Amino acid sequence: MSERFTIKLDGRSCRAAPGETVLDVAGREGVSIPTLCHDPRLEPAGACRTCLVEVAGERRMQPACAFRVRPGMDVTTASERIDRHRKVLYGLYMADHRLDDAGLPEENGSANMLREQAARNGALALPPVNASRTGRPADTNPYIRFDPELCILCARCTRYCDEVEAVSAITLTERGASTTIGTIGNAGLLDTSCELCGGCIDTCPTGAMTEKKSYGIPHAELEAVRSTCNFCGVGCQVDLNIHAGRVVKVASPPPGETVNDGNLCVKGRFAYDFIHHEERLQVPMVRGRDGELHRASWEVAIRRAADGLLAVRAKHGADALGFVSSSRCTGEENYLMQKLSRAAFGTNNCHQCAAT
Amino acid sequence: MNEFMDKAGAHREEILERLEAEGGVTPETVRKIALATGVPEADVWGAGKFYSLIREPGRRVRVCTGLSCRVAGAAGRIEDLERAGESREEVSCIGQCDRAPAALDPELELIPGDGTRSAVLPDDTALPVNLGGADTDGYAALSKAREAGPEAVLDEIETSGLQGRGGAGFPAHVKWRAVREQAGSERYLVCNADEGEPGTFKDREIMERRPHLLLEGLAVAAATVGASEIIIYIRGEFRDARRSLETALKEAGDHLKQFNVRFANGHGAYICGEETALLESLEGKRGMPRLKPPFPTENGFRGKPTLIHNVETAACVPFIVHHGGQHFRDLGRTGAGTKLYCVSGHVTRPGVYELPLGITLDELVKTAGGYVGSPMAFSPGGASSGFLPMSLRSLPLDFPSLDKEGSMLGSAGVVVLNDTVDLVQAAGWQTRFFDDESCGQCAPCRIGARFLRNACGRFLADGDPEALLHVDDVGWEMEEGSICGLGMVAAKPLTSAMKHFPDAFRRRR
Ligand SMILES: Cc1cc2nc3c(=O)[nH]c(=O)nc-3n(C[C@H](O)[C@H](O)[C@H](O)COP(=O)(O)O)c2cc1C
Ligand code: SF4
Ligand code: SF4
Ligand code: SF4
Ligand code: FES
Repeated sequence: MSERFTIKLDGRSCRAAPGETVLDVAGREGVSIPTLCHDPRLEPAGACRTCLVEVAGERRMQPACAFRVRPGMDVTTASERIDRHRKVLYGLYMADHRLDDAGLPEENGSANMLREQAARNGALALPPVNASRTGRPADTNPYIRFDPELCILCARCTRYCDEVEAVSAITLTERGASTTIGTIGNAGLLDTSCELCGGCIDTCPTGAMTEKKSYGIPHAELEAVRSTCNFCGVGCQVDLNIHAGRVVKVASPPPGETVNDGNLCVKGRFAYDFIHHEERLQVPMVRGRDGELHRASWEVAIRRAADGLLAVRAKHGADALGFVSSSRCTGEENYLMQKLSRAAFGTNNCHQCAAT
Repeated sequence: MNEFMDKAGAHREEILERLEAEGGVTPETVRKIALATGVPEADVWGAGKFYSLIREPGRRVRVCTGLSCRVAGAAGRIEDLERAGESREEVSCIGQCDRAPAALDPELELIPGDGTRSAVLPDDTALPVNLGGADTDGYAALSKAREAGPEAVLDEIETSGLQGRGGAGFPAHVKWRAVREQAGSERYLVCNADEGEPGTFKDREIMERRPHLLLEGLAVAAATVGASEIIIYIRGEFRDARRSLETALKEAGDHLKQFNVRFANGHGAYICGEETALLESLEGKRGMPRLKPPFPTENGFRGKPTLIHNVETAACVPFIVHHGGQHFRDLGRTGAGTKLYCVSGHVTRPGVYELPLGITLDELVKTAGGYVGSPMAFSPGGASSGFLPMSLRSLPLDFPSLDKEGSMLGSAGVVVLNDTVDLVQAAGWQTRFFDDESCGQCAPCRIGARFLRNACGRFLADGDPEALLHVDDVGWEMEEGSICGLGMVAAKPLTSAMKHFPDAFRRRR
């Protein structure tokens, strides 16, 4: 470990460590610096320019998200120059963005950080620049929607897809004012290497990359309930987003908070339809002589299953039985399943659907 | 087929050349290249779509719409092609401003508008680059530098005061020392031959007329900083220059055997003249400039220490080795050494003239045979330098004097405009250039350049100065907030024109 040192942040002495960025130190010290292209999981891009600060001795303002601290450095995060910079910058972003009736960056349901920041900071009103940007309106994938008019080209989605998922299904494409997020030949995501992890949605600061299924439901009306994904034993934490008593979306908790560091897979993020599915079993059922399923108590249902299994063993021997548990079970549940198979029924015919 | 994903390795560096060989970006060519190289399809696609020479397959004539070609009648040429039903593309300055209005045929071979050989000064061995001289392949400076040893060469370079000729005027010896002092033995020398600044065509002339001089200068630099690989990144449109260098490299034979010299083609992106965008391009990526620091001297090609020099900078080196740094320095007037000034537009003999650093516009134009018509404005260093009024005609054309005027010497691509030109129109053309060539990475430049282009267009269309509201704010933000030099200067043509020629921007209708 190299030596820690101090830097000055708005006149205050702060501890800093080699390799940290100005933003790292500011975050720890409670100094707020707006960011758009920053995601702690990704290499800094320094591209959105919202986080520019003044560093004594540097002629140009520098991106706090990428600029590394050095001993004795003197950083200013609020000044007339920074203020003017942000006002014009937000004005430019808004001139290249779909605005709502109030003249603010539109929200399609998802939160739009540009809207919050521009409203808080103020923005120079500029006429729209009308840059043409292609999207993929014909992309039939069931989950992910891309709205180029809300995209600020922070490249968080493409960097996430590359640096975290190692998939690289999407890319910055074209150049200059026409730059957009694309795929090979503008193919739909199902025709690319995309794994539909939805991480691009999660990292997008504006809602340009967003979820099809919950599109348009205002984020302010959603209540988040922290839960554990039950598709596998990893134990990813999820935020179930509830609207009018129903789960309408699953989001990952912010990076750094939970074991999954803001990431989810396609199942955890998108396969939540079963929760409110009409065919979902919610109570024990037993099939009667009439061939139909009838509601029963747990005691009755378990007794019935045990009787059936014991009858098979009595007639054909224990190895006529096989036990298969689900990948949705936890490790403990899987353990109990094989115990049931081996100790209670006496067969090694036990398996788990994710074990092959 | 390569089974492993190879995102950063050697195969990635091939993809742009492969796309060029396949005739451009299509889903089929991209899939094929992704399969052969292991680079993800989307990455091949996104990289290819960045470059105007490969992003669309198909044969077409490319008509230059640079300022000098515009004033020489590019519009007429475009109309002719239109009438003939030929497919064409309007492209940014192709570095043939002395032969305006120029175009390229579908094979990228030059279709000159006027003359095929640029005007240069006659042979004069007192000139360091001496474009009119014989290009000998004795490599005597290289031998001399080897005998003297790196420290002695570095001292001479420092004494010479040689400043980078690519635009920024950064002292050469500082970069040489920085690279030489890096730990580790893997170092690179990259020659920036991507000359793209509108109005600039001096590197082209060096490569065509003095290829050995350039190779020798690069070899001295490589030997001095301890680089064994020399990569010449050459503008894709410069077919003649590349042939000339390839021939010279063969002729040089054993003189250069210590070095691995290779060429890389540019693929049609002005921004790749910016040194870190150039490095990205060499690595097979979109030409988006990197954040600095770290600088290439520390973290350059493949993340290794890299010395990057403009063609002209390198071509000055043999003279310095032969005659000493002091001699070179003394050749300048207000700055060190001679400078290749490109001059085009409304002058009698457009060309490349090697003159003392710090001569005035009038002296330069006198060398070029005088003004055509009555001069009204000039750009001293390409589009990036904006427009200056004739009242500044006796300003020394050097780095600090032009900086002080809010302009720049840059690459010394001097363009003269006489009073037949509508300056708003001219500012509009330059503004469009930057909008076309912005890499799109950062918002001040990407959106700002489009804003300015629209503002100019609206003012030209309806003559209402209201259209120019906020140009100052946006220009200020582009200069302050952009990542690289392109965005920082992209507002210059318009803001300088508004500042120096306010009458042109009054209500027109
Ligand atoms: C937008 C932009 C375009 C540039 N284009 C060129 C170019 O075409 N040729 C060049 O040599 N340098 C160009 N430069 C300057 C290079 O970044 C770099 O400073 C130069 O190659 C260093 O070489 P030098 O020290 O010999 O000048 C450009 C810079 C910017 C910001
Ligand atoms: S869903 Fe995941 S794999 Fe697909 S594009 Fe988004 S980040 Fe990449
Ligand atoms: S889609 Fe979102 S994350 Fe991707 S570049 Fe656009 S704004 Fe950034
Ligand atoms: S200033 Fe322009 S060219 Fe430079 S990085 Fe930003 S967008 Fe790209
Ligand atoms: S957050 Fe620093 S530049 Fe975007």
